This record gives sequence, structure tokens and C-alpha cells, in this order.
Amino acid sequence: MSFLEIFQYTRQDSVIHNLDPRAKLVLSIALATVSLLFSAIIPHIIVFLFIFPLIVASKSVRRWTKSMRGLSVLLIFILVFNTLLSSAEYPFSYSLALTFRLVNLMTSFSLFFLTVHPDQLSQALIQMRVRFEFAFAVSMAMRYVPTLGNEAYAIMDAQRARGVELDKGNLLTRIRNIVPIIVPLIIVSIRRALSVAESMESRAFGACENRTYLEKLAFRRRDWAVVILSLFILTLVLYVNLIVGLPDWMLIGLPF
Amino acid sequence: MIMLENIHFTYEGIYTALRGVSLQIDSSELVAIMGSNGAGKTTLIKHINGLLRPQKGRVFLDDRNTSHMSVAEIAREVGLVFQNPDHQLFLDTVEKEVLFGLKKLGFSEDEANEKAQATLEKLGIIDLVERSPFSLSGGERKRVALASVLASQPRILALDEPTIGQDALQKRYLAELLMEMNSEGKTVIVVTHDIEFVIEHFPRTIAMADGRIIADGPTGSVLSNQEVLNICSLTSPQMTQAAQALGKLYSDISPRLTQLDELEYAIMQILGSGIQ
Repeated sequence: MSFLEIFQYTRQDSVIHNLDPRAKLVLSIALATVSLLFSAIIPHIIVFLFIFPLIVASKSVRRWTKSMRGLSVLLIFILVFNTLLSSAEYPFSYSLALTFRLVNLMTSFSLFFLTVHPDQLSQALIQMRVRFEFAFAVSMAMRYVPTLGNEAYAIMDAQRARGVELDKGNLLTRIRNIVPIIVPLIIVSIRRALSVAESMESRAFGACENRTYLEKLAFRRRDWAVVILSLFILTLVLYVNLIVGLPDWMLIGLPF
Repeated sequence: MIMLENIHFTYEGIYTALRGVSLQIDSSELVAIMGSNGAGKTTLIKHINGLLRPQKGRVFLDDRNTSHMSVAEIAREVGLVFQNPDHQLFLDTVEKEVLFGLKKLGFSEDEANEKAQATLEKLGIIDLVERSPFSLSGGERKRVALASVLASQPRILALDEPTIGQDALQKRYLAELLMEMNSEGKTVIVVTHDIEFVIEHFPRTIAMADGRIIADGPTGSVLSNQEVLNICSLTSPQMTQAAQALGKLYSDISPRLTQLDELEYAIMQILGSGIQ
């Protein structure tokens, strides 16, 4: 579960943290789209070399490394299965590119989720004319991700104490062992959702049609710069990729 | 016998929960672990059944180092009942829920059925067997979770906050059940904030604060020690408060009484001497 940490907000004072969440949303989506466009190794490495300094700038390298370590099992799984099952000409090279792509995708989105506080997110959505109820639901969902993770650990402990062996047996047994974890997790979440709803209503949630906000987000010059730069890169990459075509050296892969 | 030797445990390198805990609990002892929130009580009992492994120190079960045993292996001997029953229950009837653990621990069908029936009866939830655990009240769910662990009759039973959400009557039933299991030779360890429950039923108390054991000994002397109570954020038992109040009037009454009969005796003494 530790790979989820990459999507969890951390309080920091960094250049990236101080950007407007809307600007970061554009940046993240642009970077993620760029990562999706390629299926060769070299472009992905270039994209990564562009994204990684942003992680450094957001002072979150340790968290990123930890998440990637958590993700490594899945990455190896993707690498192995794609290599074995792919019909590409050089399956290993292709799978390696796919793996890089996942890392890039995760990293671009993490740039947003690591640095945007749930309250900022809902404020951003509201100022993008999303209804308050929906914006609130989204920020609440974000807020509860770590809680859910902790709950999952507690449930795993409770089941292991009853003799469930989570890390033993063949694939089928392991899948069956998920049931005693998943069912309580869902039930606990539903129960909590109900009690949160009740406590919200008892604190007059939705009583006023028009809300006012203490803190409003304002675009500054650097936020515009980030948006323009993101869109420029996105357009440039789309143009090169779809119309001009990538230069040959970028398409070189491994010969196996 | 459970032996913990200088256990240290830190959560993810951030939060230190145990800072060198050593203790020994003999078989068929009745022990209460008390202390403020975050003192490390739950972390401590999770070390007994191997859910957590000490980062420094060793845990022994009857001279066997548990670092060589899996949780499932230990679970046959150590039953751990968690605070929140909703973390355990996942099947559609109470009966299946109780049978699940028994089957996981390798009991045969007949044996499992027999043990399940006996336990459900003891806990007074035999009429709930066909019900879904999710439709039960909080207190009932708590007893179902308890039954699902008790059914396998582990030699050592550790319960985390078993009295929460139970009314006085259920608390008494729970106490009776624990006493009965103890008289059959089982070790019972309870983590709780319920000081009266401890005073009434547990001869030994371990008081913890900030990842350390502050006091370990006879309940009466641990829980009437004002210094220990202060460090562990506990309030004096009602009997001790009464004894202290009476002690101001009658110096013969010790301010460290904890049991009703002790206080009764002390009062009788004074009344007796007054009559004479």
C-alpha cells in the first residue's frame, strides 16, 4: 500500500506547493498526456528527466522513492508479463517502455496530489464552477485515502490473528483470502460514510444556497507561466509526434 | 508462559511506541494492562501473537522464540480480540463467522461445530446464529467477534478494550466468562481503560506510559499509587477516592484501599471501636 503515499498531500513550503492548484492540474494533465503518447524508451527517459526535477523542486524525493519501491512489484509484474505475452517485435524493449510510461504517469499525477491540499482542491473545483457538494465530495474522498489505508492494515491484522495466512498458498487461495479483507473494508467505509453524513447534517451542511469563502484562489503571473508552458509543451509534442514524426534516434530500442 | 525481553518498536521510523518493555506473564494468570492513550498497550499485545515483530528484543512463548513462528502458528495458542469488531466480521451469518476461524486453525468439521455451539451458548448469542453480523448492534457484534476468537479455546487470550459499548450486565457476563476460562487454566490479558473492571476482577495490573512499563504488580498497590496514576493519566478507583475522603476524618482508614470489602472492613473496625 505504500505506493499510495505518492498521492497523499504533504505539507511543505516549495515552489510547486505554492503554485495555484488549477495551474498544477493543467501541468499534470499535460505531462500525463505526453507520457501516454510514446511507446519507445528514449522519449520516456526524456519525459522523466523533465518531470523528476519538478519532484525535486517540490521537496518530495523521499516520498517518491518510497512509493516507487512499493510499486516495484507491480512494475516487475508488468515487465515480465508483457515480455512474455506481447506480440511486439522486441517484447522486452516494448515492455520496458510501458513500465517507464507507468512511472511517468504516476509521477505526473503525484505532482498534483502531493502538493495540493484537499481544501485547495475543492476551492479550485468550486472556482472552476463545479457545484460545492461535488467539490466537497472530491476533497473528502482524497482526505479519506490514508484513513482507508490504515483501516486496511487493521483489518489484515485482525484476520491474521484468526489464522488467515495472507502471504501463503497459490494464486487462487490468495485471491480468496482477499474476501475477509475487502468485505469489512467496504462495510466499515459505508458505516463511516453514514455517520459522517449524519454529523455533517447536524452541523447544517447545505443550509445556505450561496456560500462565501474565506480564502479564494487567485492566479498569479507564475501560474499563468506554468499553464502557458504546459500547453506549449503539449502542443509541441503532439505536433512533433503526429505530424512531423519522431527523429529516428528516439525510436531506438533494445534489440530483444 | 509469555516472556518479553526488552522490546523496542517504532512505527515507520516516525513514532516510537515501545521503548524497552520487559515482562513475564505465567500461565493461568489474569493480567490487566492500563495506561493513557498512545502508551503502547495495543502495540504490546500485538507482539504477543506476532502481528508485530520487535525491532529490538525478543518474545518467548514457553521458551520458544516467536521470531521463528508464523502468526497463524501462534494464533493456535494466542487468541487476540481487537477493539473494533467490524475489522473482523465479513460473513453473512454469525455461525459461519465463528466457524471461519476454527476452520482456518485446522479443526475438523464436527469439532468446529461443537466448539462454535459451546462458545455461542456461553456468550449468550446462540439465538443470533442465523442473523447477519452486520444487522446486529455494536455490543452484539463485539460479542460475535469475541466468540470467533474464543471458540478455538486458545491457551492465552488477549483482549483489546473488551468492555467498550457493553452495558453493566454484559460486562458482568464477560467478566464471569473470563474468570471461568482462567479457572480452566487459561491466561487472560486485557487492555482496558475501565479501572473498576480491573479492580474487581484482575489480581495483577501493568501500568504503561509513553512506551514503558511504569508499574507492574498487585492491582491494589498499582492502582492506589497516586504517582503511577498521574503518570499514566488514570483517575483513582472509586473505592480509593472514598477511602481518601473518609481517611481525612478517620486516620485509621488507609488512603490506598481499592476494594469494596477492604473499605467495608475498615469502616466496621471504626464503628466497632466506636461502640466499644
